[in-house]
Amino acid sequence: MDRLIDGALFENMVKGGAENLYVNKSIVNDLNVFPIPDGDTGDNMFMTIDSGASAPPDGQMSLGGVAARIAHGMLLGARGNSGVILSRIFAGIAAGLADLQDADIKTFGKALQRGSAEAYSAVSVPVEGTILTVFRDAVSYAGERLGDDSTLDSYFMDLISELRNSLQRTPELLDVLKEAGVVDSGGAGLVYIVEGMKNVIDGAEIGGVQTESAGGPKHVNIATFTEDSVLEFGYCTEFLLRLQKSKVDLEKFDIDAFTDLIKSMGDSVVSFRDGSIVKVHVHTMFPGQVLNECQKYGEFLTLKIENMMLQHNETMIENRFEFTVEKPKKKYGVTVVASGQGLKDTFVSLGADVVVDGGQSMNPSSGDFIRAFGEINADTILVFPNNGNVIMAAQQAADMYDKADVRVIPTHTVGEGYSALSMLDTEGKDPDQVAGEAKMYADGVFTGFVSRAGRTTVMDGVSIVDGDYIGFSDDIVYSDSPDKCEAALTLCERLNAADFDVILLLCGADATEEESQRLCSALNSRYGDTEIIMIDGGQPLHDFIIVLE
Amino acid sequence: MLVLFTDTDTDFTPELAKQYDCHLISMPYSVDGKTIYPYEDFDVFEGKKFYNMLRSGVLPTTSAISESRYTEYFEPFFANGDDILYVHFSRAMSMTFGNMDAAVAKLLEKYPERKFYTIDTKGITITSFIIIDEIGQMYKAGKSVEEMISWAEKEVDHFSTYFYANDLKFFKRSGRVSGITAAMGTLIGVRPIIHINKEGKMVSIGKERGKKNALNRLLQYTIDKGEDIKAHKVVIAHSDADEDVAELKALLRAQYGDDLNIQVVIANPTSGSHCGPDCVGIAFHSSGRE
Repeated sequence: MDRLIDGALFENMVKGGAENLYVNKSIVNDLNVFPIPDGDTGDNMFMTIDSGASAPPDGQMSLGGVAARIAHGMLLGARGNSGVILSRIFAGIAAGLADLQDADIKTFGKALQRGSAEAYSAVSVPVEGTILTVFRDAVSYAGERLGDDSTLDSYFMDLISELRNSLQRTPELLDVLKEAGVVDSGGAGLVYIVEGMKNVIDGAEIGGVQTESAGGPKHVNIATFTEDSVLEFGYCTEFLLRLQKSKVDLEKFDIDAFTDLIKSMGDSVVSFRDGSIVKVHVHTMFPGQVLNECQKYGEFLTLKIENMMLQHNETMIENRFEFTVEKPKKKYGVTVVASGQGLKDTFVSLGADVVVDGGQSMNPSSGDFIRAFGEINADTILVFPNNGNVIMAAQQAADMYDKADVRVIPTHTVGEGYSALSMLDTEGKDPDQVAGEAKMYADGVFTGFVSRAGRTTVMDGVSIVDGDYIGFSDDIVYSDSPDKCEAALTLCERLNAADFDVILLLCGADATEEESQRLCSALNSRYGDTEIIMIDGGQPLHDFIIVLE
Repeated sequence: MLVLFTDTDTDFTPELAKQYDCHLISMPYSVDGKTIYPYEDFDVFEGKKFYNMLRSGVLPTTSAISESRYTEYFEPFFANGDDILYVHFSRAMSMTFGNMDAAVAKLLEKYPERKFYTIDTKGITITSFIIIDEIGQMYKAGKSVEEMISWAEKEVDHFSTYFYANDLKFFKRSGRVSGITAAMGTLIGVRPIIHINKEGKMVSIGKERGKKNALNRLLQYTIDKGEDIKAHKVVIAHSDADEDVAELKALLRAQYGDDLNIQVVIANPTSGSHCGPDCVGIAFHSSGRE
């Protein structure tokens, strides 16, 4: 007869699971995808299982007793969405093993099923393609294959094989995973845990891994949430609430109604009750409101509130580890050349994948372009050089690069690049058509520049005084004035700005806020029928770039 | 008796509803954690004030209404022995209808004799408005529910809506328009043109540079797709863009003459929470939606 699982073995299995997750937790952390920012899944899951594995002994040696102690420890330590769900899985397992001295594999398998059901019931809106799905698939697959000659070993082999298969399927169920080219992080964490448990069954020693809870202050980059940031994802709010007899009738307390209340204030809700303790995990815009409401029922044991905009600050690095799935290749990728933070940001928000630093005063090399192309996984890469002196280097790089079809759109100014990119529509079009349209949009644009003159001379019939500001377009000088706004206004007049639909004003690093505003309102009063848009481009050299579209 | 219902997402106001003896279900939005039910928490919608608030950076959210609210709306009529026809905004745009289904299922168990009919306008704001406006007239004229439903089966697809948006941040946040790709971020000076398709979903169908071009494109769709246009109203909705609406009206008058029946409405705040300020749209009778 096959080995039975008793309290001691189960405890060691959980410890083994925790250790294996610890070793691999950075892999799990890296699977976090925007936009479901919820801290580092690997850390959260480890802290959760570790607080179960290291729960102080309470004299109970039976399987049921040990499982209950571990589940309670995990309840107290549960963090993050996946962590909370993990703690529910173990709570369900403990319920399935209650009162048992030990269990055979069939009984144990049933307890795992109960764990899956409990996890689903704790989540307000279960999302498929997550740890929930992965665990359910594996438990039901391994359960179906349970027969008379099944052993602990064969059961766990089945469990792990389906955990892995189901994990690989998660991107098919959840679009955010597919887009990010990863599998679900919580599911991956679970795979490591169960593998660690299996190692113990196979005789692995535990305690060989020095684990320490990453409980210290997390590194957050507060610069990622600025004065202008919009709180899109709210706060990840987690707490343990001890229901108070003075506030609520413990008998009549209805966890479902309580969960509905939480749901009305946020999403990603996971909440459940264990005796007089209620665990809540919610993403909310108004944590204060949640806390106020909940305090009507009890007092907080622990509290954690994190701005989720800060949690996913680390740049996604293209890691090729075991659990990444092939990132779907885009049809079109975009590289642009620009300088000035505002301009670069504008291009990124328009959909540029990579912005190569450069422009008038600093022309990027072919090597710079090839590096940029390498960062893009696309069939066709469109390149906007945005400067006459850069087009050749871009074309040369395009000819050398063989991993994608690279098309250089010969834009001579950032204005042309901006215009072409903002009007670009690639849906259902072939590269020739897209490149042709991009060129057409660029050709319809006039770009004027205002810069400080470096010497006194006469050009194109305009007397230029050293230190004045000149307005020019296409290497023809149209205006000169000691005042940069005047130079810009005369330039607009000479370029027949009134005939265009949009005047885009890109303010350079050397233009002050006052000057920019002054020019913008002057343009508004002169060209009432034209839409005037001002962007703080921050570009060097050109105080103003005026784009006429 | 048959009782007619619609909701505030159709841009119907209490005065309009009263004209057709129609009842209004209030679809809420939330600002700073406070949920506001249009025409229950205020009497008159102050559009300018609302859209100025959005311009200042406030991003409202919207939410489904609860099962119990649906029960509160419908039960008194079932209890009274009335049947209900609810002409609603697009089912494809909101989760709220799941709650409605649950409420109605329970009510019909309690009142097995009663009937609950729905017409999905497969749109929101003016798409729904122009349809409920015609159904309201039929209802007032005493048409049977079967007549109204069979009219809707044929005609709902013949009310087309095209609109342009000014600031994509609202749409991107709500995720309710397909085709708004990453490559359409902050479209400064460029406006995406959006159509509500046969499935009742919003799809982006291109873009125009400059407001004039965007308005002309709306006119062009009206010319290309319009059918029996003068036999129906043409409805313009805007989110506080009076000047642009005046321009669009002038374009329409020049094209169709002064006898075109144009009605202008300001987009309700709940829908406005998803489209943001400065949008302009047009709904008209067409040869069919895309």
